[in-house]
Amino acid sequence: MADVQTERAFQKQEIVSLRTKKFLTKKTSTGVRYWKNVGLGFKTPKSASEGAYIDKKCPFTGNVSIRGRILRGMVVSTKMKNTVVIRRNYLHYIPKYSRFEKRHTNISAHCSPAFDTIKEGDIVTIGQCRPLSKTVRFNVLKVQPNQIFGAARKQFVLF
Amino acid sequence: MGISRDSRHKRRKTGGRMPIHQKKRAFEKARQPAMTKIGHKRVHVVRCRGGNMKYRALRLDVGNFVWTSENLASKSRVLWVVYNATNNELVRTNTLTKNTIVEIDATPFKALYSKKYGVDLGKVKKDKEETEQKKEQSEKAKKVWEDKKKKWEELSKNLYIDPLVKEEFKVGRLLACISSRPGQSGRADGYVLEGPELEFYKKKIEKKSKQ
Repeated sequence: MADVQTERAFQKQEIVSLRTKKFLTKKTSTGVRYWKNVGLGFKTPKSASEGAYIDKKCPFTGNVSIRGRILRGMVVSTKMKNTVVIRRNYLHYIPKYSRFEKRHTNISAHCSPAFDTIKEGDIVTIGQCRPLSKTVRFNVLKVQPNQIFGAARKQFVLF
Repeated sequence: MGISRDSRHKRRKTGGRMPIHQKKRAFEKARQPAMTKIGHKRVHVVRCRGGNMKYRALRLDVGNFVWTSENLASKSRVLWVVYNATNNELVRTNTLTKNTIVEIDATPFKALYSKKYGVDLGKVKKDKEETEQKKEQSEKAKKVWEDKKKKWEELSKNLYIDPLVKEEFKVGRLLACISSRPGQSGRADGYVLEGPELEFYKKKIEKKSKQ
């Protein structure tokens, strides 16, 4: 429980009140936790409902709603704090030559601590939410572990 | 003033510069921060976009604080700033912002608590004096007093007060957190710290005072 409070301000879920008589008298170590079902058929991971992390941008335990686009891509970088870079590959048609060319887009998505085993090369489903930072408008909803050979940036996988 | 909240001055995600092809617009403008201090109330009204009003508090001395677990709220004097997670400078200059930890006067809460439960927090002697006073009153007042006593006896079965908060009452000052935005609403309202939050901030304050 103590490892959750790493910041200078007290980390808590805004919705849960830790100042009720019920909570204060019980003094249980488990505590009260708010978590929700994001909808659209996505399962809430166990680590979200049972974990102790506090993340206001998490789709399961925070204050964001998933609406709009749902996309799939491959994780390219996990170096950022709580966000991952996802690469989406697609083919663009050139009519003159009746052929395709490879193109890709990088999307930054917020990755909740519920998915702490995410690594480069994993196939990830992301859902659109409100802007969370300058470049982040998506949130990771589902992770499918995947083993790749070589660099994640060099893989061309279409979804 | 010159402060604007546009994104045109920032670089793109790729690192490239954004071409500045237009002047700063009025809808992007920002204003100077309020930096609310503690003192006799001074609030300026600002006319904002859409004709809406913002109440920029420059100096505040009282706020409406709520003691959540007891469901008691009262206007109480803000004494001084004790901790601010954002910036130590704001603590030194006694600046009130949202999520600032302050010390507030405990006397209004003492009064409310004794009215609700008949228990005097902090001192024991006063209790005896009060009961003696009540004995001298008229019959009607006596009946009211008996009813109150009965109610208090019932409530006292489920009495619980956070030990840390109880200690604070003895000193006469409670730790509270500001939950309103003084520069926007013109008020310094908040809640009395309790439980895990209180422990957390007490540790932080002790650590700072040791340094």
